[in-house]
Amino acid sequence: MKHEISRRDFSRLLAAGAAVGTFGSTSSIAFADERVRYIWWGNPDRDKRTRAMVDLYQKKNPGVTVDAETYGWNDYWTKLATQAAGGNLPDVIQMDYRYIFEYARRGQLADLTPFLGKDLHMENFDKNVLQSGMVDGKLYGISMGANSICLIYSVDKMKAAGVAVPDTSKWTWDDYRKIGMDVKSSLGDGVWFSSNMGMQEPILQCFVRQRDKDLYTEDGQLGFDATDLGDYWDYWMQMQNDGLTPPPDVQAQDKNGPLETTMIATGRTVFDFTNSNQLVAHQKLSKDMEELAMVPNQSNGKAGQYMKPSMLMSQRSNSSVPDEAAKFINFAITDLDAADILQIERGVPSDSKVIEHIAPSLTSTEQQILKYLQLVATHVSPLPPAPPKGAGEVDKQLIPAFQAVSFGKTGVKEAANDFVNKAVGILKRS
Amino acid sequence: MVASTVAERGGAERVASRSLTTRVARAFRRNGPGYLFLTPWLIGFFGLTLGPTIASLVLSFTNYSLLEPPTWAGLENYHYAFFEDGDLRDAVGVTFSYVLWSVPLKLAIALGLAMLLDRGIRAAAFFRAVFYLPSLLGASVAIAVLWRQIFGDQGLVNHVLALFGFTGPSWITHPSYSLWTLVALAVWQFGSPMIIFLAGLRQIPTDLYEAAAMDGAGQFRQFYKITLPLLTPVVFFNLVLQAIDAFKAFTPAFIISSGTGGPINSTLFYTLYLYQQAFGYFRMGYASALAWLLLVIIAVFTAVAFLTSRSWVYYQDEAH
Repeated sequence: MKHEISRRDFSRLLAAGAAVGTFGSTSSIAFADERVRYIWWGNPDRDKRTRAMVDLYQKKNPGVTVDAETYGWNDYWTKLATQAAGGNLPDVIQMDYRYIFEYARRGQLADLTPFLGKDLHMENFDKNVLQSGMVDGKLYGISMGANSICLIYSVDKMKAAGVAVPDTSKWTWDDYRKIGMDVKSSLGDGVWFSSNMGMQEPILQCFVRQRDKDLYTEDGQLGFDATDLGDYWDYWMQMQNDGLTPPPDVQAQDKNGPLETTMIATGRTVFDFTNSNQLVAHQKLSKDMEELAMVPNQSNGKAGQYMKPSMLMSQRSNSSVPDEAAKFINFAITDLDAADILQIERGVPSDSKVIEHIAPSLTSTEQQILKYLQLVATHVSPLPPAPPKGAGEVDKQLIPAFQAVSFGKTGVKEAANDFVNKAVGILKRS
Repeated sequence: MVASTVAERGGAERVASRSLTTRVARAFRRNGPGYLFLTPWLIGFFGLTLGPTIASLVLSFTNYSLLEPPTWAGLENYHYAFFEDGDLRDAVGVTFSYVLWSVPLKLAIALGLAMLLDRGIRAAAFFRAVFYLPSLLGASVAIAVLWRQIFGDQGLVNHVLALFGFTGPSWITHPSYSLWTLVALAVWQFGSPMIIFLAGLRQIPTDLYEAAAMDGAGQFRQFYKITLPLLTPVVFFNLVLQAIDAFKAFTPAFIISSGTGGPINSTLFYTLYLYQQAFGYFRMGYASALAWLLLVIIAVFTAVAFLTSRSWVYYQDEAH
C-alpha cells in the first residue's frame, strides 16, 4: 500500500512539477490565462456532466482555464485535507454540509457575501436554501441542489407481493413493520423486506427529530440520550428477529458508501434508504422499477425529515483569482445552458429560473425525485444545528456499536449507554 | 628540495591544513562519483523518509488537525493511547493475532512447497512462477474484491459447502471469521518466502543427505536433522521480514472492510486505526504518536527475535 501510494503521488508530483515548470512560465508570458482550479467528488455520470459544464464555461469565457480535479467520496476528503495542510486548496471546492463547518471555522473558506450582486447573482435563488450555506452569519457555500433523506423500494417486488404502499407522509414505524409482515411470505430465499437501518445515522436522526430532539444541540452537545437510541435499536432488533431484515453478517456486506453494495442494489431487500438525488444512480443499478418513500413517523406524526443541500460550492480563502472563482460558481449554479448539462444529478436546483427551464426536459426518474421533494416539502422540519467538530467520528462509531447488538454480543441498553458515553468523550476531545 | 624546506619552516599548522584538504580532495575523488550516483536516493531518503519521520516524532507531541497549525500537547497523545483508548486495545489485539497466525502458517506452506519444488519435479520452473503469482498480485484492490466473492454469503466457499449440505455464513463480514479470511489472504501470498527457502535449500550440500541415507535415516529424520537446522538462518530471515510486513499490513483490511475495520472492529488492524485517526478524524498528532508506538512494538519484536535467534539459528561458518 505504502509503495503504491508513494509511487503514484511521486509521479503526480513530477507531473505537477513539469506542469508548473512549463505552463507556469509560458502562460505568464504568452497566454496570460486566468486559471481557476476546481475540485469535486463524484461518480462517472457526474464527472461527465461536470467536465462538459467546465468546457462550456471555457468556451464562453476565452482566456479563462478551469483545471478540473475529481475523486471518489472517500479519497476526496483525504485529498482535500492534505491540500489544505499544504496551503494548496483549489479555488473552487465542492463542499458537503457536514464538512463546510469544519473548513469554514478553520479559516479555509472565503466569505462569499461581498460577491453577491456583483459576480454572484442569487436574485432567483431560494432564500431559505441560501441560508444553508451560512456559517456563523457568513456565506461560505451555495447549494447546488436540494436533497432529502428517504426510503427507496422496488415497485416490482411490492406489486408481486400484492401489497400497496400507503401515503408515506403519514405512515408510522408500526405500519412499516406490518407491511413487512404482509410482504414477507411472498419473498424468496435470501430476500428480505428491509435493510437494517440500526446503524444509519440519517435515519436515527429522523427518529430523534420526531421526538423534538436532534443529533446535536445548538451548543454542540449530543442531542439525544441512551433511551432514544435504545428505543431505536429495539425497533430494528425486532425487525431482525422477525426476519424482516437480513441477518447481521449479510447486512454487514453493505459497505456504507458505494451504492452497488447496498442491500437494495444487490437485490437482497425490497426497502432500503438513500438520498433523494441518488434515485437516478440506484435506478441504473437495478432491473426493478424503484420509487422513493418518506421515512416513517412516530405516533405523534411530527416531521423528522428536512431539506438539505446535497452539496455546496465554496471558494477557498486567499484565492489568487477570487473574482474568476466567484464567476465560475455563479455560472454552475445559475446559467441555463449549464443547467441543461448538470440537470438534477446533484439534487433539485434552488434557482427558480433554472427549475422552470429544466423541468420539461427531465426523465421520468428525475420527475419522480421532483415529485418526492414536493411531497417532503409538505412535511419537513427546519435544518438541524451545525454538527460540532468530531461529529464525523461519532457517526462512524454507530456502526460497530449497533453491530455488537445485532450479532448478539451486547444487550441493547448496555450498548446504547456505551455509545452515548463514547460520543460524549469524542465531542469533549475534539 | 626547496619546497620541502619551506614546508618545514611553515610549521605544523600549515602542514595539517594542507593534508586535510588533500585528504578531503582524495576522499572526494575516490567516493564522489559514488555519492553523485546516489543523489536520487539520497534526496529521496532525506527529503521523503528521514524528514517526515522526524517531523512525525515532533507532531506526536501536538494536537494537529491538518487544517490548523499544530498546538503543543506534551504527552497527552501517549497518555490517551496507553490509558484511555479502548479501540486501540482492539487494534493491537487484532494485529497480534494476525501476525501470530499468518506468519507461521505462511512460512510453513512456503517451506513445504519449496521442498516439493526442490525435488526436481517436472516443470518446476512453471510451478515456481505459478506459486509466485499471488505475491505479485499482492494485496491489490482486485484481490480484495475477489476475496469478497469467495467468502461472501453467496460466495464460492458457501457454494461448495452447500454441496455437502452445510449453510455457511458470510465469512468475510462475520466478526468470528472475518480475520481468518484476511489470514488466508496473507498465507496465500507465500511466494516470496518460498523463493528464498528454495535458494536456501539449494545451498545444503547433497553429500549430507547421502551420508544420512547410508546410515539409514528416513525422510522425516533427514528433514529434522539436516534440512531444518541448516535452513534456520533462512527461516530466521523470512520470519523477521514477514513479521514486520504483517505488523504493517494495511491494504487488505482497508479494502475488504471499506476502511471501517468492521464488523465490530474484528479487522481493525493497527495501521488501519492509525489511518482512521489521521485522515478520517483529522488527528494527525495522535496518529503520529500511534506510528511511533508501532515502531517501538516492531523494534521490540525484532530485538526479541534476534536475541532468541542465538539459541536456535545455526550458521555453518560459525560452527567450526
